[in-house]
Amino acid sequence: MSAADTAADVPLPARKKRFNRNEVLAALIFVLPFVVVYAVLFIYPTLQMIWLSFHKAPLIGPGTFIGFDNYLKLFKDKLFGVALWNTVYFVILTVVPATMVALAIAVGVNRLKGWMQSLILACFFIPYILPVSVVFRVWGWMFDSQFGILQPLIALVAGGNVPVFRTLPLFMPTVAFITIWWTIGFNILLFIAGLRNISPEIYEAAALDGTPRWRQFTRITWPLIWPITVLVLTIQLIAQFKIFDQVYLFGNGGRSDATMGLVQLIYRSAFQKNNGGYGATVAVVLFLVIVVFSVLQFQMLRARGNK
Amino acid sequence: MKSFLKMAVLSAGLLSTTGLVHAQEVVTWWDFLGGGDGVRMKALIEKFNAENAGKIEIQGTTLEWGTPFYTKVQTSAAIGEGPDVMTYHLSRLPLGVSSGALSEITADEIAAAGLAGSDYADSNWKAAQVDGKQYAIPFDIHSIVLYYNKDMLKAAGLLGDNGLPTGLDGVDNFKAALQKLKDGGAEYGVSIHSAAGDSQWRIFYSLLGQQDGQFLDADGNFLSGDNLDKAVKATTVVADWVKDGLAPAATEYPASIALFTGGKAAMHINGVWEVPTMTDLNAKGELFDWGAIALPTFFDHPATWADSHAFAIPNRVGNEVSPEKRAAVMQVIAWMNKNSLAWADAGHIPAYSPVRNSEEFKTKQPNATYSVLADTAVFDPSSVLAGVASPVYDAAGNYLMPAVNGEIDPQSAMEQMRDDLQGQVE
Repeated sequence: MSAADTAADVPLPARKKRFNRNEVLAALIFVLPFVVVYAVLFIYPTLQMIWLSFHKAPLIGPGTFIGFDNYLKLFKDKLFGVALWNTVYFVILTVVPATMVALAIAVGVNRLKGWMQSLILACFFIPYILPVSVVFRVWGWMFDSQFGILQPLIALVAGGNVPVFRTLPLFMPTVAFITIWWTIGFNILLFIAGLRNISPEIYEAAALDGTPRWRQFTRITWPLIWPITVLVLTIQLIAQFKIFDQVYLFGNGGRSDATMGLVQLIYRSAFQKNNGGYGATVAVVLFLVIVVFSVLQFQMLRARGNK
Repeated sequence: MKSFLKMAVLSAGLLSTTGLVHAQEVVTWWDFLGGGDGVRMKALIEKFNAENAGKIEIQGTTLEWGTPFYTKVQTSAAIGEGPDVMTYHLSRLPLGVSSGALSEITADEIAAAGLAGSDYADSNWKAAQVDGKQYAIPFDIHSIVLYYNKDMLKAAGLLGDNGLPTGLDGVDNFKAALQKLKDGGAEYGVSIHSAAGDSQWRIFYSLLGQQDGQFLDADGNFLSGDNLDKAVKATTVVADWVKDGLAPAATEYPASIALFTGGKAAMHINGVWEVPTMTDLNAKGELFDWGAIALPTFFDHPATWADSHAFAIPNRVGNEVSPEKRAAVMQVIAWMNKNSLAWADAGHIPAYSPVRNSEEFKTKQPNATYSVLADTAVFDPSSVLAGVASPVYDAAGNYLMPAVNGEIDPQSAMEQMRDDLQGQVE
């Protein structure tokens, strides 16, 4: 019997039916735990938060319905404008630079071999395992305006000690630099995984053709690593929009009104001033901002990649 | 297998009976005492546990001072979690009560513990009440003092025969003294924690009090009338020191202490809670001859900012502290008050009058030198916007601190501070 005969023997409806009842049931059972947990821990609280933003309420407890008043208050709030700009500024300072630096380091580390590669990779990755409080203490101490070990270097350039965390124009760039130092290990790992997936034969062929190193990078590495680059950029964008820890810690006790980001505004409204409804309003706006920006970025980058 | 099972059941039975015999109240305790005084508090807790073994045991946790502590207390109380007793700043009591975080302490409970309102200074006891209801029991009164390096002051001719500084009273005299000390080789005349609003608030508030200025008047207005000018004057005093290099700019808390203990600054303005730090260093032979006096009188009369640590019981919604536990907590509070002489080692002034008026405290150094400040202490304004980790402290960081460091001029800083806080009044 030939394959054509066997195919012709199977009745048409059975062959066309794609959703076998048992398979669907099994699929549902497998997905159910995740869906339940996701619904309880994410969907439900998010809906509650959106509902809360229409109320004047304390952090915990019932409140009074006030419609869109919180949103109107938000757009007139000077502090919201400052927090929004600080967040966007921080994103500009960290997302692209962190990705590019990580790629450069990954390309460099990939060229090393053996234990040397492992050692250098570990050096770049170790900051990532530190908790933020340790990072805060270490860098706060190094930059201390009186006794910091980096101050002599700064004094060479600036002519005297500079209290970087109390000098407004320097605050965000310094915190951005520290953030990049802290989190770059993760991006490097992603890039190295992507680089190792590129077959070395392509590079050998290019080398045989006499292609210079730089051309190899722009014509081979860059396009082939593009999906990873998009991934890293998106992860970074979402993460840095939610910046709180470092900015809060380094700015604590100082001009917090001028340096706070959106998440800190949520914390201040909900936890310090016990204004849960207003905090929820800021959170909803931040959520929408992140959704819009990440979708925009993803579409833009995908479009470029497809050309 | 059968004998193993028998053994297991037997040991489980024995263990549970031992549990029943040693039924003791475990009191969960939260505090924010992490400075030099924290060590002394841990010793006090250990002493209590030793003396009350088998009856009451304190299990203490020390959390981060300031906003982290108070937000944690508030949120945990609101969902029925949290400690059985905690330390609390009286300056923050109005805010704590208004957010429902504190549980009222009844007159019966106070009497049953052997305490009474007459055992405390009137203003102190009243500061622990809101609307006539008691929400906390005071423990200490703490303030800021002027630490000084005896050798450096002597060399500059600023030390009297009794070993105490002279010639420091008055704005101009103090500034001249700072200059003399700097000329004598010190990098700074006085070191201050100038990178944050909380420390600057304490100095500012003292100077404001010395002019009889009111930060919040009876009508609920901030810096009204000539209080604004007095506030500007107070800010300018400190800003001048920084401008002329007599005090360090934008210096963090540990660095400000290190400048003094390292001999780079001849004097240091900080809280009494660093007295144990100085004492311990001196005992190890790592610190020069030092002393501490009440803040000099810069203006009309002496006055020093003060706050009070007190014990409070959180209002745990849905999981209230049981009556037996409350009784144990009151015993803890009473014990702590009666033994607060040891707490004076941490530099604080005991709030419990029998201890404060005792011979032992009156002769305890360096407390005896500066405890006179208790008579002229000015406490934070009583408002839901004031107290530790409050909008007033935030405003101090946003306006007062930059003014001290010369980033904003004192006049506009005080005006902005007033407008910011007034705008937050509901």
